[in-house]
Amino acid sequence: MSEEKKMFLEALRRKFKESPEEKQTKFYIYDGWKQSKRKREFVEAAQKVAKERKVPFYNPDLHLGGIPLGQRVLMPYRLSGTDIYCEGDDLHFINNAAMQQMWHDIRRTVIVGLDAAHTVLQKRLGKEVTPETVNHYLEVLNHALPGAAVVQEHMVETHPGLVSDSYVKVFTGDDELADEIDDRFLIDINKEFPAEQAAQLKAAIGKRIYQVCRMPTLVAMTCDGGTMSRWAAMQISMSMINAYKLMAGEAAVGEFAFAAKHAEVIEMGTLMPWRRARGPNEPGGIPLGYMADICQASRVKPEDPVWVALEAISMAAVLYDQFWFGSYMSGGVGFTQYATCTYTDNILDDFCYYGAEYVRKKYGGFAKVKPSWDVINDVATEVTLYGLEQYERYPALMETHFGGSQRAAVVAAGAGVSVSLVTGHSTAGINGWYLSQLLHKEEMGRLGFYGYDCQDQCGSANSFSWRSDEGLPFNLRGVNYPNYALNVGHQSAYCGIISAAHGGRGDAWTTNPLIKVAFADKDLKFDFTHPRLCFGKGALREFMPAGERDLIIPSH
Amino acid sequence: MVEYKPQYYPGGSNVSANRRKYIDPNYKLRKLRTISDDDLVRLMGHRVPGEAYKSVHPPLEELGEPACPIRELVEPTPGAKAGDRIRYIQFTDSVYFAPLTPYMRAWMGHMRYRGVDIGVLSGRVPLEARERDLEKVAKELVETEIFDPARVGIRGATVHGHALRLDENGLMFDALRRFQYDKNKGEVVYVKDQVGVPLDRPIYVGKPAPEEELRKITSQFRVDGEAFRNDKELIQFVQRIHMLRTEAGFDPNRVKEI
Repeated sequence: MSEEKKMFLEALRRKFKESPEEKQTKFYIYDGWKQSKRKREFVEAAQKVAKERKVPFYNPDLHLGGIPLGQRVLMPYRLSGTDIYCEGDDLHFINNAAMQQMWHDIRRTVIVGLDAAHTVLQKRLGKEVTPETVNHYLEVLNHALPGAAVVQEHMVETHPGLVSDSYVKVFTGDDELADEIDDRFLIDINKEFPAEQAAQLKAAIGKRIYQVCRMPTLVAMTCDGGTMSRWAAMQISMSMINAYKLMAGEAAVGEFAFAAKHAEVIEMGTLMPWRRARGPNEPGGIPLGYMADICQASRVKPEDPVWVALEAISMAAVLYDQFWFGSYMSGGVGFTQYATCTYTDNILDDFCYYGAEYVRKKYGGFAKVKPSWDVINDVATEVTLYGLEQYERYPALMETHFGGSQRAAVVAAGAGVSVSLVTGHSTAGINGWYLSQLLHKEEMGRLGFYGYDCQDQCGSANSFSWRSDEGLPFNLRGVNYPNYALNVGHQSAYCGIISAAHGGRGDAWTTNPLIKVAFADKDLKFDFTHPRLCFGKGALREFMPAGERDLIIPSH
Repeated sequence: MVEYKPQYYPGGSNVSANRRKYIDPNYKLRKLRTISDDDLVRLMGHRVPGEAYKSVHPPLEELGEPACPIRELVEPTPGAKAGDRIRYIQFTDSVYFAPLTPYMRAWMGHMRYRGVDIGVLSGRVPLEARERDLEKVAKELVETEIFDPARVGIRGATVHGHALRLDENGLMFDALRRFQYDKNKGEVVYVKDQVGVPLDRPIYVGKPAPEEELRKITSQFRVDGEAFRNDKELIQFVQRIHMLRTEAGFDPNRVKEI
């Protein structure tokens, strides 16, 4: 990539006062944490709280026995693909309402097929199911799902103002049926997707009809992921009783519950094994390919699969690295800076677009060649060397990614995404990632931290190890895949590697068309078409989440 | 049986040659400075100079070890024999032409020293050993060509700096400012031990090597020095390892004639 086109230079110039090529600077002159507006705000807030609660609180002067943070520049970060700059603290998920809402919107979603219930109604109970009855049922469920009664006569209910983000919609691949569904309840594939993608999705979904249930964000915040399908199943069953005038407790009702809890339910994340001790719909159980499908950037710019992959990477970085590894698994304040390196300062963007340009010129475009050693070696090696050379040419870039794990993630992500683009094959892409890691280790004589290197030095051997000649099992791996379960900083890129392979091919989805359609919903609080922009709004405190409790707390 | 001749490291570049050299235990590291035993002990900060070694178990001779073929095969180190506790020294190596990179430091240590436990991270390399063994190893690590006062740091905690730009004197960043540049003497001086506890008197560790010298002795590839891209032999070696691991992971029967 030519000098003037390097995408990260603008951010580097904003981060440091010296030229990005300058190797020397001054340290120890920045007045510690006081150089940061956000840290000053933290101190002011903490002092007020400490006075009120009479228990010591946040005090950055305790850092390292009196040597505070900020002996060097506490640099700002640019949200890649946007013009938004913020402080690092603004990208911690506790400080960013958009990040929280992204996770809540994923966790509170459950997809439930309606066909089994309709079959029971028609064949077992002899009831008529028509578009009119379906619309009526959906109106009842939109009343019930947020937490309202539909059958009993003396029930407590939830305040609508607290659960206003809870609703149900449906989608189908059948245009005729879709036409009969009330627009207020329909995710219209024809309207939400470009024509070519809509045709692929409708062909895959066929005449089946699915409900997309969104439980209230407050429920997602106060209960666990396993609550979601249970909450949905209870309200679905009760709404069936109401809408189709059934006996409460007749045997068929058990069938609705069974369908909603088991036979027809698609959770966003699967149950975790005992050693992780998590139920369904927790980040550790969400397959990488599902994350790629949850991201909706592919609807917006299908002609730019690099951009689409980068948007998916940002979501996976926040969910897998910041939420899952950073807090669920490790405890503590989290691994924010491991994750943000993939979606800040246009650095990964530069490496990926370099790879895209390279494969366009050399191989005539995306998904034009089958995976082979020649192609994987060529593309992964070239993009890896390019990335490493940028760190060496621009000391400000090296300082931006001051930890080896950050560099290893970003360089290998560039290589993996590029191999995915050229082959249209995510397993080849992940193999390119591992070649990149080995090359990186030899080039720099260093890589990441202990665990990082452990995962990446055995990755070559497991990239094609399980039925890779029969399909794409890699798309179904997740953060609980044994060799991935220990380590931050990888899964975001793995999600991008999947996205890039299918984006390069022009696919409408990567792993599951139902997931793709379920999130093509403008009523979600988080904007899944532009996650990086949304995280930026969160950083600027311009994002309004759901789940606020103002209605039930004193004025403040 | 064919006699095995260790090759240590592939590659046709000077950087690769340096890597082979440092890993090869037959290569004697050039001694550049003398740090007194007491100063070394103070830099590490584990005990006061002259203080007896603390032990975590009785000497092995008194311990009455069980019959064990491994124990018969492996001669304990002096520190293990005496029952010393396990202590550490940790180095940070700058990306700007430091003599060693973390992996080279680790592989070199494994090839040259017994009874050491070495970790590798992107910037720092902890080396743990029985205390008296550690002091012997540390002496060589600090007194020889692999220690450049400006580009290598002795740091137990708060180690960041390897990837940061250099300061106005060419020193690697150290948030704790354990070391400083004495402009009058032209030497680097430690004023704190490796975890940042102030020393009762400064310890001089010598002049930083000139940039040209560092470029000659470094084991770091850099595009503004010797570029990895040009070492085709090393790149092909890595690609081959990756291919063999991948294919063997898919189906071990596919891998033949290694």
